[in-house]
Amino acid sequence: MTTNAVSFAGVEKTYKRPRLLGAVYHTAVQDLSFDIPAGEITGLLGLNGAGKTTIMKLLTGLLFPNAGTVQVFGLPPSGQAAKAKVGFLPELPYFPPQLKPGSALAYYGRLSGLSGKELSLAAEEALQRTGLEPHADKRISEFSKGMLQRLGLAQALLHKPDLLVLDEPVSGLDPLAIHDIRKLLAGLNAEGRTIFLSSHSISEVEKLCGRVLIMVRGRLAKTVTRAEWEAAPGGLEAIFVEAVK
Amino acid sequence: MTGGGVSSLRGRGLPLLLAALLAWLAGGFAAYKDYHSPFPPPGEIRVPPQGAAGDMFALAFGARRVFADLWFVRLLQYYGTRELSEEEQSEAAGLHEHGHHHEENFGGGKYPLFLSMSRHILETDPGFISAGLYGGGSLAFNLARPAEAEELLNYGLRYSPKEWKYLKVLAAIGYSKAGDPAAVAEQIKPLLSDPDCPVMLKQLAAFLNKKAGNYAAAAAIYADIAATSRDAVYVENARRELSRLSERKAE
Amino acid sequence: MKTFVPLAWAVAANSFAESVRHRFFTLFTVFAFTAIYASVLAGVMAVDEEARVLADLGLALMELTTLAYVLFQASSSLLKEAETKTIYLVFSRPVPRGVYLAGKMGGVMLTAAFMLGVMGLMHVALLAFRGFPVPAGYGWALAGSFMKLAVITAFAFFVSLFSTSAVSTLVISGIMWTLGHFVSETRFMAEQASGFKAALLKGTLLLIPNLQLFNARDVMGAACSITPAAVFAGAAWILAAYFASLWLLAGKEF
Repeated sequence: MTTNAVSFAGVEKTYKRPRLLGAVYHTAVQDLSFDIPAGEITGLLGLNGAGKTTIMKLLTGLLFPNAGTVQVFGLPPSGQAAKAKVGFLPELPYFPPQLKPGSALAYYGRLSGLSGKELSLAAEEALQRTGLEPHADKRISEFSKGMLQRLGLAQALLHKPDLLVLDEPVSGLDPLAIHDIRKLLAGLNAEGRTIFLSSHSISEVEKLCGRVLIMVRGRLAKTVTRAEWEAAPGGLEAIFVEAVK
Repeated sequence: MTGGGVSSLRGRGLPLLLAALLAWLAGGFAAYKDYHSPFPPPGEIRVPPQGAAGDMFALAFGARRVFADLWFVRLLQYYGTRELSEEEQSEAAGLHEHGHHHEENFGGGKYPLFLSMSRHILETDPGFISAGLYGGGSLAFNLARPAEAEELLNYGLRYSPKEWKYLKVLAAIGYSKAGDPAAVAEQIKPLLSDPDCPVMLKQLAAFLNKKAGNYAAAAAIYADIAATSRDAVYVENARRELSRLSERKAE
Repeated sequence: MKTFVPLAWAVAANSFAESVRHRFFTLFTVFAFTAIYASVLAGVMAVDEEARVLADLGLALMELTTLAYVLFQASSSLLKEAETKTIYLVFSRPVPRGVYLAGKMGGVMLTAAFMLGVMGLMHVALLAFRGFPVPAGYGWALAGSFMKLAVITAFAFFVSLFSTSAVSTLVISGIMWTLGHFVSETRFMAEQASGFKAALLKGTLLLIPNLQLFNARDVMGAACSITPAAVFAGAAWILAAYFASLWLLAGKEF
C-alpha cells in the first residue's frame, strides 16, 4: 500500500498538431518524476506553457503519457478505481446557464455513482461547504465568477474524493472569495484529503501548501518545501524567479 | 465495459474495430437478403417536363409517395385547365361547363401530356391505385383514348399484379369499346364502395345507370358522391342530378 | 452492467433535457408545426385525395424536421462538450467512455422519439380536424422514421469523432442519408452490371445502410410493417457505429 497519492516516473507528453503537410510536435512535459505524499497540500507553479495543466490532465486520465508511468494511489489514472478517488476542478469550469446549481450537482453526482438520498445529501453538503446555499435558487447564468468557481469546487467534492486536483482554483477571484476558498481547502486537508493545486499566485501557494513543484518549459526545475522557502531570503517568490530565469 | 477504463480500451482497439466492421457487414447482409424494392427502377421513370428535380428529391429522401401526391395535384391542375375546343364542344352539345367534370365521354380537349403525367405518378409510386384508376378512367371515358388508358392500367398491373380494380376498369374499357354500357356499369359497380374509387368513375357509373333507366341505382351513387366527395363541382353536379331524378320520380 | 445502465441513463436524460431546453429545438418545432399545417393547402388542392396528401406530407415533414435536429445535435454534441470543457467534469469521474457514448447517442435518439411523438399527435389532431381517420400503417411509418433517424444518429456521432467540424459531419451524414435511400437503385445497377463494376456496386450495397428498409412511410398500407430482419439490420448498424465511435473515443485526449 503506497503512501503516495500521486506518482510520476519518467513521464513524457508530446502533443501532435496535424498540418497540411506533416505534423508539428510539441513536448509539454519531459522526463518528469515526482511524488505527492498522501494527506499533503502540494502546489504547482510555473509560467504559461510550463506544463501545469498537462500534469493535471495526466493525473485525471484526460491525457495519456507517451512515456513513463503515472499512478494515483498506486492505480492507473484512467481506471475507474482511481477516478473514484479523484475530484477535479478544471480552469474556468462551464455549467449549462439555465440550470440551478442543485440540478448541475445532481447530474455530476449521478456520474460519480451517487443516487437517491445519498445524492441529495451530498449535493446539499457540497453547496453548504462552498457557501452556495444562499444562491441555490438562482440560475447559473446569474452566478458571478467567484460563485462559478465555488460551484466547480462543489462538483469536485460531491463523492468525497481522497485527492483533489485543482487547476487555478482562485483564478479571477476577489480577496474575500480567495480567503473563503483557502479556508475551505485547509479544512478539507485537515480531514485527510490530499490536495494538488496549480496557480499563478505565489502568495496563495505560500499560504496553503506544504510543498511546491516549480515547472519550467516542461521540466521539473525545483521541488521546494515550506521549511526551505521560509528560510530563504525573498521567500518562495525569489526561489521561483531564480528557477524560471 | 469493465472497470479497466480507457487504458484497457485502448489495448482492445483492434477487436473493437473488428466488432464494428462485422456488425456493419452483418447489417448490410441482412438488409441485402431482406429488402425487395416494390418500386420501379429509376430507368423506368420517364422524366416529364419540370419533373427531374422532384424525382431526384423523391429518391434521395425516400419520399416517393409525397412526390407522387404532388404529381397528382399537378395532374388535377393540368386537367382542370380550360381548352377552347372543349368550350365550343360544350356549347354545341348543350351540356354543362367543361373542365374535367364531364358526364359523357366528351372528347374533353386534347391534354396531350395526360398519359405521361399519369404514368409518371405510377412510376414514382405504383401503390397510388386511385391515381391509376383516375388516370385510366379519365383517358378511357372522358378523353376517349382507350389505348392510352389500357397502357396506363397495364403499367400499373406490372407493379400491382393483384390489383383487381385495374382489371375491372380494363374490362369496362373493353365493354365500352364493344358499345355495351350496361356491362361497363356492371364492371365498375364493385369499385364504387372502394375507397380508391375516383369520383369521376362514380359519376360515370351514375350516368350509365341513369341512361339505362336504373334511376334508383343512379340516385344512390349521386347521393354517395354528394356525401363523400370533396370536389365541389362533382358534388354540385350530383346534387343537381339528384333533384332532377326526384323531379322525374314525382312526375 | 450494474453501473452501465444507470450511468448511461443519467447521460441520456441530461442530453435529452439539454436538447429540449435548446433554443433551436423550439425553432425546429415551430417550423414543423407550421409546415404540417401548411400542408393543409396541398391537401385541399388534391381534392378527394386530401387524406392521403395530408398524411404523406405531414409524415415527410416530421421526418425531415427531426432529421435536421438530430444531425445538428449529433454533429455538435461531443464537440461542444470538449470546447466548453464540460467533458473534463465527465471523464475525470469513474464514467467509462462506452457508457458516456451510449448515453449521448441514447439522449439524441430519445429526443428524436419525443419529437416524432409530439409532432405525430399534432398531425393526427390535424387529420381528425379535417375529418380523416389515422391512416393504416401510421404507427409503422413513425417507427420506420425513428429507426432511420437512430441509424443516421449513430453514424453522425461516429463521423463527429474524426471530422474537423460540425459542418463537415452534417454534410457527410446528410450524404449518407441520401445514399441510404438510393440502395435499391444501386442494387438494380449492380444486377445490370458485370465484372469489376458489379463487384464494386455490390460491395457498396454492404457498406451503405439501406434506409429504405425502414421507409414504411413510402409504402403505407397493407405491406408496410418493418420486418424482424430489418430491425436486426438497424440494430447491427447502430451497434457497429457505436463500436467504431468507441474505438475512436477510447484513444481521444481532451
